[in-house]
Amino acid sequence: MLARVTCPPATPPGAGIQGRIASLENFEKGIERSPVGGLLSRRQVLQRATVLGLGGLVASALPVAERLINTVEPALADVNLADATLQAVADTMIPGRKTDRTDLGNEIHPKAIAGAHPEPGAVQADALLLFHEPRIGFDALEPAFLTELQTRSLTRGGQFLDLPFDKRVAVCVDGCSASNPTVLVWEAAAAVAFAAFLIAATQENATIDTASGLQVMGHPGTAPNGYADFSYGKKLSRELTANGSLP
Amino acid sequence: MAERVDVCIVGSGFGGSISAYRLAELYRAAGTSPSVMVLERGPRHQHTDFRQSMDIDLLSRIYGLVQGNGAQIVVGNGVGGGSNLYLAASLRAPTETFERRDHRPEDGPDRRMWPAQISRSVLDPYYQRVEAALRVQRPTWKQVAKSGGLWAATLAAAGHTCDRVPVAIDLNRCIQAKWCHTGCIYAAKNSVITNYLASAEQLGVQVRPDYEAELITQSSSRPYRYVLTAAQLDNEGPNPTRQPTGNTIQVECKVLILSGGAMGNAPLLMRSRPSLPSLSTQLGKHLGINGDHIAGVEYDEQKVKDLLGLPGYGQFYKGNHITTMSYDWWVGRSGHEYDGKRFTLQEIYLSALAHALYDDARAPSGDPSWWGLQKKQNLSTWNNHIEVLAMVQDTHDGEFLAPPTNGGAEHPNAGPIWVAPFNYQLSDQTIQVREAANQAIKDVVERSGLGRFMKFTFRTANASHPLGGCRMADSKDFGVVDHRNEVFDNEGLFCIDSSAIPTSLGVNPSLTISAVSERAVEQLIARAPDYGLPAAPAGFTPKVPNVILGPHTEPVRSRSDSAIDAKVRSYG
Repeated sequence: MLARVTCPPATPPGAGIQGRIASLENFEKGIERSPVGGLLSRRQVLQRATVLGLGGLVASALPVAERLINTVEPALADVNLADATLQAVADTMIPGRKTDRTDLGNEIHPKAIAGAHPEPGAVQADALLLFHEPRIGFDALEPAFLTELQTRSLTRGGQFLDLPFDKRVAVCVDGCSASNPTVLVWEAAAAVAFAAFLIAATQENATIDTASGLQVMGHPGTAPNGYADFSYGKKLSRELTANGSLP
Repeated sequence: MAERVDVCIVGSGFGGSISAYRLAELYRAAGTSPSVMVLERGPRHQHTDFRQSMDIDLLSRIYGLVQGNGAQIVVGNGVGGGSNLYLAASLRAPTETFERRDHRPEDGPDRRMWPAQISRSVLDPYYQRVEAALRVQRPTWKQVAKSGGLWAATLAAAGHTCDRVPVAIDLNRCIQAKWCHTGCIYAAKNSVITNYLASAEQLGVQVRPDYEAELITQSSSRPYRYVLTAAQLDNEGPNPTRQPTGNTIQVECKVLILSGGAMGNAPLLMRSRPSLPSLSTQLGKHLGINGDHIAGVEYDEQKVKDLLGLPGYGQFYKGNHITTMSYDWWVGRSGHEYDGKRFTLQEIYLSALAHALYDDARAPSGDPSWWGLQKKQNLSTWNNHIEVLAMVQDTHDGEFLAPPTNGGAEHPNAGPIWVAPFNYQLSDQTIQVREAANQAIKDVVERSGLGRFMKFTFRTANASHPLGGCRMADSKDFGVVDHRNEVFDNEGLFCIDSSAIPTSLGVNPSLTISAVSERAVEQLIARAPDYGLPAAPAGFTPKVPNVILGPHTEPVRSRSDSAIDAKVRSYG
């Protein structure tokens, strides 16, 4: 069993503008948690966004960002904003039903899952754990990814976590566009969500009873006794060759 | 101080293990212990170390997913190399493969791409030798997986043929769990750790896991020719870093055989070029992926019943990974005008992760189709899918730009995602023949009305069959090694593995890599005294290696699947 994700303390509710600023700062703290992010200041985050070819986007997002600072609700949950945002990304890639705990018992931010699909999605399959898995290495990409994600989100009207599902999809469509110079980072984020869901990469010897992704797919998982009824047991086509290989 | 052996082999997959075993036979026939050492980058695996699981811990130990620019290529990690993870389809490449003349426009004049000495008929005796060693069996129709049977029936309904695929699996031991891809826990799959390599060790070959070849220099102490420097990797213990420990060894040898695979050999030779100045300018070029091109089919189970008369499906999870394939887009196309246009279509289960590679293709077409709601809908029908591997006659579109600092790839952490500096840019031919394969699959599925075709999403190469980088050719102008797999102008230095294969094959590559390796080591043994190795005594003939299973889980098949089938349906 893997360890649970450690969640930092919540932003105090009702903290007014200070709370709102704190929620943005939490976002940056999330960035700073990774080795790369630890070197980044707010200014550097913006510079990085510019380096990523997002100068125009950043400029267009600034008025929205200012409005946002005046309207954002206090942070709602124990899961910090960066983690909540990653969960929301995973939910956009492989949408699922609302729930408050993952397969391995980790917390899910109440705003992370949009509830766009009636079956479990990537968040429930512990995508966040895999985002922070050192042997995956997404932590090194996370600061740049979240910066771009939030910048694109602001042009859609708010932080990613606050966007409705269709706008989250629109943000990710733009990010995953072949013309986006950072498309590989977005594909990496998608790959993490897929690996959590499709192969239950966070679980050893996962089965259909332990992994919600396998439940949705209808994959039994580990099968130590194999299968008895695995073949139709009859010839189903004409064959060209005598032994399987062409001459 | 360098250790001295007659033969040093880098890598323990098919090429390295075949070389080790045949050379061990030579030494034993000559009445001496083999002076043969095999170095392997990864750790040693027993069958009991494998799991029916794709958890990050196991994946980090047995796999490398090498990221380049334009490609992601899967390689094996550990003693036994790719053979631990292969899906065991064991096919001879068709005659036309060896006669091909197609290539990328900038890749020299019109010519036969394989050396003049290599053809299908030349390789047939070596294919036979490998089939005996790997105990290749053709499944009966009663041993064909439902997924493979469904592909056969689909092709038949559209007027096509479909053949059963021979496999290197002991079908009496196999209990059809469909978990070949993370190593067979039952030792039912004939990976080299159960035959060639295990037998080589039995004959006295020394295998050293956890050593990654870093550099080749020339030795001035004849008959020794090369000094190999290898770095120890921290692969063992509960939390291995998989980084160099700082310990290195040097091995001085008369013959150096590189069997580190297409993703290993070229970087090693490129890094060693200052000491090996006569290497071909073709080194590191022409990296291929055997024409791998994946697609999916989502079946309508009612139509499977109505149109095919089958009792249903919904069981992609059962049976061998590869059981059937069609040659209908290959046969009857023997002229060179078809070079670069042929392909085969094989039903395959790579792993559940392969699902991430193809589009849902459901309307409305403007929605994201490889992720999002549409894709989620598609994930929910997974057990009514099959996947189809087109093996197309593409060009070898990759090129290593420079060797990484260490080994064949950078390991940014202890996980399975590695990074290597290579480019992979698909040629027009590669794109066109992939599109033709897409159309063929789509036509077959839609003509019979059985389901939906789901197209590969990316214009990149996502593959598990890397080939080339040190390709064989008639001359140094066009390749790195000759028809005997010896590096041009570097006596005693060989590339015996996938790195020497100059074209995609149309079939899964393990049997051809192995047959070419058998031929290469036979040619080496024929000239053994020239290299300072023992002469083969009169009447020396290669034997079939023993089967040595090693520690494994004894297979016990459940008598009925009804409980698990019901559970799958209830969750769906």
